[in-house]
Amino acid sequence: MTSLISSRFTTRRSRVQDWLFGGIGAIASLVTLGALGWILADLVKMGLPHLSVEFFTADMKSAGREGGIGPMIVSTFLILVCFLFPAIPLGVGCAFWLSEYVQGGSRIARAVTGGVDLLASVPSIVFGLFGMSFFCQVLGLGFSILSGGLTLTCMVLPILVRTTLSAMTSLPPDLRPAAGALGLTRATTLWQILLPAALPGIMIGITLGVGRALAETAALLFTSGYSTRWPESIHDSGRAISVHIYDLAMNIPNGGGKASASALVLLLMILAINLVASLLADRCLKSQYIS
Amino acid sequence: MAISSVPKTNAPPPGTAGISVRDLSVHYGNFEALKDVNLSIEAGLVTALVGPSGCGKSSFLHSLNRLTDLVPGCKVKGSVRFGNGGESCGPGVDVLALRRRVGMVFQKPNPFPQSIRRNFEIPLREHGVRRKEISEVIEKCLRDVGLWDEVSDRLDRSAMALSGGQQQRLCIARALALDPDVILFDEPCSALDPMASAVVEEHIAALRGRITVAIVTHNLAQARRISDRVAVFWIRNGSGTIIEHGPTKEVFSNPVDPSSRCYLEGGCG
Repeated sequence: MTSLISSRFTTRRSRVQDWLFGGIGAIASLVTLGALGWILADLVKMGLPHLSVEFFTADMKSAGREGGIGPMIVSTFLILVCFLFPAIPLGVGCAFWLSEYVQGGSRIARAVTGGVDLLASVPSIVFGLFGMSFFCQVLGLGFSILSGGLTLTCMVLPILVRTTLSAMTSLPPDLRPAAGALGLTRATTLWQILLPAALPGIMIGITLGVGRALAETAALLFTSGYSTRWPESIHDSGRAISVHIYDLAMNIPNGGGKASASALVLLLMILAINLVASLLADRCLKSQYIS
Repeated sequence: MAISSVPKTNAPPPGTAGISVRDLSVHYGNFEALKDVNLSIEAGLVTALVGPSGCGKSSFLHSLNRLTDLVPGCKVKGSVRFGNGGESCGPGVDVLALRRRVGMVFQKPNPFPQSIRRNFEIPLREHGVRRKEISEVIEKCLRDVGLWDEVSDRLDRSAMALSGGQQQRLCIARALALDPDVILFDEPCSALDPMASAVVEEHIAALRGRITVAIVTHNLAQARRISDRVAVFWIRNGSGTIIEHGPTKEVFSNPVDPSSRCYLEGGCG
């Protein structure tokens, strides 16, 4: 009899627990979704009235209260190019070396991954200061789009290394012996077998990095600067959209509307990049495993 | 034949490369997985390696094509010779050329996650086969494993979309494409259903006379069906070793070693 009662009690308790955890999980998910919805609704409400074709193409006027963000869009795009060019080979190369050429637990591997993780925890404002003193002054690149891009490279490198590394380590473990047994060199194995297999994961890593770079303000304030002219080359100073938003919101009275509109543009850019990347990654996976 | 353009150094004609293994020991760190193994694998025949799990059969197989090199902390000592070629164990050996002569098929089918064609192209290009000869080699090897009619219209589609049995036959065809003297099979049927397993087994048996085959299997009936010779592995003093070997019929009908008798009769192991 006692055993019956206790089992009934356990069943009831586990049912309550089940309900409780399910409920907490559901509320947490709704709050997360709600936060996103709120941000979006707020931006759309404040920013949408300011959006027009002119906003994308025109110069800004009256310190940003009027006009568009054409130069900022171009500067942001150029900064992204200057960031990606060195970041992809460095990040992917470092991850390849860690996963294929050094043993996981070795001292050198631990030193490099430890360094990468440490780099990831450095606040972005510190990267800004470093970028200003190293790229702008020591290397003499000045306040320029190039300096900003390179500073972002240092900042986002850990994300690229970590995501590529995890893409490499989550590959099917039998690919390497399969390649080895066919007498393939390590280079062929890496370039023709492992890299294509890890490509979807690497693309997702690059997308995360791009999102992080687009959102960055502090590291760019002191490096690419906040000139609002149309940049003529990567050696010009140029204002990123994120820096423009910061400036409008903090320094310009009545700049809130344009700030929201700029933020909406930034968000749309990130969304578009995410969409394209996930479509490409999906297609890549499908070609590897399904058709 | 197109494949003859593959550069091959000191290779005896196909089917004549037996394997002579002397005093082979394999260590993983401090653990001695295999101790003082001696075995002659005869050219052109199918040799089955049987024995309970963990007695070093796979380590033995992997040390023949030096895949043990890929395992951190693994040390192999002793002597391995293919045909009348030189020593292939130890330093200074062209391991990539060795692996071209000594193919391997694994327990789990492991095609590359790319098209069927690329699965052949990558190794063939690596070993210097000219582009225009590749299609011919692919067709010949896929025909050898009875896969050509099933996949000839979908060579540019993913190899991963094939069934398990088809994937394993693809892996055999891929190994055959390099025109090896020896193919090592590491439990090639254990991940397949009985029907697919029977088809794969049939194609392995068909290699007899053309290629030297060493096959690790847990399926004693399979060993009895397809092998000419059999070697029984067992654990002695904590390490794997061969306790009995000889012609399959003889070893199965009249095993000398008591452990081997017990194992082959299904009583233990």
